Amino acid sequence: MGAILALKRVFGFAGKVWRLATEVHRIKATDMLTFEVNEMENLFTILVCGSFMGLPSPPAAIAIELLPYMEHELRLMVARADFSQDALASIMDMLHVD
Amino acid sequence: MKKIAFFLGKGGVGKTTISSAVAYQFAKEGKRVLIVSLDPAHNLGDVFQKSLANTPRSLDANLEGMEIDLAVWVEKYLKESREEIKANYMYQSAFSVDAYIDILKYSPGTEEYAVLWAIEYVYKEYGGRCDLIIFDTPPTALTLRFLAMPSITRLWVRELSRLREKILQKRQTILRINPKASIVRNLSEETEDAQDEPKVRGAAKKEDDLIYTKLSSIASRLAELQRLFSHESYLAVVVNPDTLSVAEALRIRQELGKLDVRLNSICLNKTTEGGEGRQNVEKNFGDCPVFATGLRQGGIGEVSQLAEIQAGGLKNDMKRFGQE
Repeated sequence: MGAILALKRVFGFAGKVWRLATEVHRIKATDMLTFEVNEMENLFTILVCGSFMGLPSPPAAIAIELLPYMEHELRLMVARADFSQDALASIMDMLHVD
Repeated sequence: MKKIAFFLGKGGVGKTTISSAVAYQFAKEGKRVLIVSLDPAHNLGDVFQKSLANTPRSLDANLEGMEIDLAVWVEKYLKESREEIKANYMYQSAFSVDAYIDILKYSPGTEEYAVLWAIEYVYKEYGGRCDLIIFDTPPTALTLRFLAMPSITRLWVRELSRLREKILQKRQTILRINPKASIVRNLSEETEDAQDEPKVRGAAKKEDDLIYTKLSSIASRLAELQRLFSHESYLAVVVNPDTLSVAEALRIRQELGKLDVRLNSICLNKTTEGGEGRQNVEKNFGDCPVFATGLRQGGIGEVSQLAEIQAGGLKNDMKRFGQE
């Protein structure tokens, strides 16, 4: 009886460790993908508003039509401008390298 | 007969006179005609000796006319965009988006875009009550730019849509890996201490993403305009019997060919009764019918004189298209 209880505890503990490890990896993977999504969203904004930065861009009217829905993208672009000052630190932070 | 006709050509060749004569003569035959001037330097009202505006005004029985004011159309779009921004943004002052939009007014391409939406508006709003809409176009450069606008812009919209699709796919991947990821959380929450939570915002599905749906709606509007130009429109180029206007007409045909838009006929204006220069025009536009419209010494003095311009052959050709 005691052996069964001990076995249950071991399996219970192993289960917790497994769930914790999965969760950690899931959060890490999510962080990395989020970083990638943010980069893509930033690229999207730069393309739409490129005429203001001297980049080839669609007709300005496209920007006029899309701007009302791009608040998040615009804020992200400004945030990315800050990030570009210290990109290495941000990547290290994402990878949890201290 | 096709629903729309465009009269193109070099400045001063007589586009307004010919398009007015065709509109006037069709109206006299009982067709309901709307003639629209897209030229920023309007003189359609001068031909009909009436003051025209952004909405149709009666010129004669069955005939209405209007002059598109591009500045008003540009302002209209900027105003709509501004109002949407005010409604959608949490605070606009942070990015001075209002000032940004003011600058956009002077960006290259805005005027051409305004012409496009004006054409779309006229077709949808007044197409139902007319048998024919005739557009008197600005000189060649602006006309070719607005005719090219749908195909060029569609390329951009397609690429932006592809990038948007990739963003949405990535967001879906994040949701699959971590179903708890909040993809609707706004940035003000993110700036607080929620570092451990996923930071993906916005929709993950195409139908929920406002930017993607807006891009799709722009793409379908542009596709419809392109179809309007290539399938629903009769395009005639007005030329004079001089080398420069013929050379420009050749360039127009070449450019239209690149856009997959067919040039239907050539109107030879300001030629003598003997048909001076006709052979030269026919030689250059072998596959395109050439219609001489006759020369009116002194131009148009009275509206009724529009009936005297020889436009029978051109009208018959216009009637023929669309019945094939």
